[in-house]
Amino acid sequence: MSETEGVAVAAGASWPRRHRRLTAARVRRGSVPYALILPVIAAIGAILGYPLYNLVRLSFQHYGLFELIRHQGQSVGLRNFSSVLHDSIFWHTLVRTIVFTAVNVGLTMAIGTAIALLLVRLSAWARILLTSGLVLVWATPAVVAVQVWIWMTNFQNGIVNYVLTKLHLGDYSQHDWYATTFSQLGLATTLIVWGAVPFVAISVYAALAQVPKDLAEAAEIDGAKPWRVFADVTLPFLRPVLLILTSLSIIWDFGVFTQPYLLIGQGHIHPGNYLMGIYLYEEGYVKTDFGRGAAISLLMLAMVALLSIVYVRKMVALGDET
Amino acid sequence: MRSRVFVAAIAAVALGVVAATASASPQQAQANKLTVWLQVDAQSGWPDIVAAANAQFLKDHPGWTVDVQYQNWSDHLQKFDATLAGGNSPDVIEMGNTEMTKYMAAGAFSALNKSSFENAPQWLSGLAKSGSYGGKTYGVPYYAGSRVATYRTDLFTKAGIKKLPTSLAELIADAKKIASQAKSNKGFSPVYFGGEDWYVAMAFVYDYGGAIARTHGGKWFGALDSPQAIQGLTAYKNFFLATSTASKTNDSTNPNPYDVYAQGKSGVIVGPSWYSCCVGAKYKTSTAQFVLPSHVAGKTLPGFLGGSDLAVPASGNAALGSDWIKDFTGTTSEKGLQAKGNIPNATNLLGTSINERAAARSWFVPTAKHWVDVENGNILKNMLGQILTGKLTVKQAAASASDNITSVLNGS
Repeated sequence: MSETEGVAVAAGASWPRRHRRLTAARVRRGSVPYALILPVIAAIGAILGYPLYNLVRLSFQHYGLFELIRHQGQSVGLRNFSSVLHDSIFWHTLVRTIVFTAVNVGLTMAIGTAIALLLVRLSAWARILLTSGLVLVWATPAVVAVQVWIWMTNFQNGIVNYVLTKLHLGDYSQHDWYATTFSQLGLATTLIVWGAVPFVAISVYAALAQVPKDLAEAAEIDGAKPWRVFADVTLPFLRPVLLILTSLSIIWDFGVFTQPYLLIGQGHIHPGNYLMGIYLYEEGYVKTDFGRGAAISLLMLAMVALLSIVYVRKMVALGDET
Repeated sequence: MRSRVFVAAIAAVALGVVAATASASPQQAQANKLTVWLQVDAQSGWPDIVAAANAQFLKDHPGWTVDVQYQNWSDHLQKFDATLAGGNSPDVIEMGNTEMTKYMAAGAFSALNKSSFENAPQWLSGLAKSGSYGGKTYGVPYYAGSRVATYRTDLFTKAGIKKLPTSLAELIADAKKIASQAKSNKGFSPVYFGGEDWYVAMAFVYDYGGAIARTHGGKWFGALDSPQAIQGLTAYKNFFLATSTASKTNDSTNPNPYDVYAQGKSGVIVGPSWYSCCVGAKYKTSTAQFVLPSHVAGKTLPGFLGGSDLAVPASGNAALGSDWIKDFTGTTSEKGLQAKGNIPNATNLLGTSINERAAARSWFVPTAKHWVDVENGNILKNMLGQILTGKLTVKQAAASASDNITSVLNGS
């Protein structure tokens, strides 16, 4: 977006100030940048705008299996929305999801940043080794990772139980990692954080390369402790990257579906352990109530957009400062 | 500048969320191709019978091809729904007998001419009922299966058990004998099945005269809070806690009971009779099966009569789909299925295998339109987990599940 703006500004700048009158040539020239972004807008409109329009339309209809077969929904006004908002399961799920998201994003950012700081201090070969490991994790498809997690935590033969028992951390033989909601979501958290850390670590590492070394040195000479150096010198440089990563992580983790759904397993999904993504899937697809599902997804969309506004504003503010 | 970037960023974020939640899987329909959806059971268990039906169909309809696509139980309905939306449904689909009613009621299938199918007058009544709605036939019985106990004869002999248990109390006593013989075997479970395996648990409910739900006056009522059902659930809890060290919060998957058995970690596994397929080379010769006994001596525990129907989706090719089903459910096919340990679709084909004897006393899920939502909502599994872990008493868990079932079954 900013590049296109740049082009527009450059095109405008090449024009002498006194010819401000609207001539055909000026309009033609001035519209070039807009013409250039038109294909992108059209593509986004076709790929996302049209489904979004359909989603909104669907949310005002009763659309079950009967309607699906006839391709004809019944208009019900706001009933889908009011039914969702009056559903206590929705509110419980929302609170659970917010806590879940906060924990996941917090852990992802903390561990990711810590690894990035570690990467700076490592010798070259150790850094290559660690980076390769991170990239491998990042490259592992979620579905494959879920399967590995399921094997490792298997009730009967899982290696986690075996290792914990061998390390004499207690008797974990036949420990059931899926017995409680806390434990189920905890496992999902380990999987999600594990999968998300590489992206954060590598991005923050790249940002760390921009921190001028002499500033940190100067601070150290002035007697600043490592923590002060990090907080007052390094962190301000990282802030834009951290903000973007945090807001992206919030969006990903708030709507996360694949990992918890597959890890907990369809057979163990119930209202007591729903996350928003799963709630949407269960209400919309499994119960074949697509209108209600559409209403839930629009509510989720609104919430994520609201959550993001705070971060996007800050991002923009930072962009204007520099 | 600032506000434009801001709006663009918001839009990008919003669209990203939509993109993350949307998906589609286009499948092009093709002329002269019959698309058939079967469950993976056929792929692993009886591909030869499928191939024979295809060959017969191609002989009768030259110029056609048959595309058999194998599906999984866990998500085949969601995939089917997607094809209903897209108008590219298969021409034939295998449905679990508990899944039929909702789709028949919504008009998802073409009505079939019952009398054109072989052995139709003798179809197993449970299966035939699951495929008929409003007096019309939409589903053709494919095969059925019941649940039996697969056990290690050598362990029984070693424990000094001379005859098979004829009552639940005897089975529990036998399990304890086996357990005392296998004390050194860490992680050994005398009887193994997942605590949330509701097919096993509900057998106890029906054995005590209870039911999952009952209907009167056109309404459904969850019935798990009835005294008989509570008795049954209590008996189930006692049975599980006395004989099994399996997970209390897992159904009988992951691990599969037969894998546990094949590793020498169980003496008796409960499940479909085809479990005998996979008991491991080591125990192949020391494995046999029996029908689980009832709490009443001499009777058997009522088994869940699971089964499959074949249906033709409304947008599919009704004439040819029905012809393929004829080829796949004829006497020859059904005899083949029987030889693989299944129950054939008609009473005149029934033999005397363990599976077929177990089916003599059986139970079936409520034939309510919304039953499948109870199943997919894991209401029963969740209740069993609560009971076995002691989170709730039998009474509390049953009452809450029962309320849930009432509301789901009467849903719109």
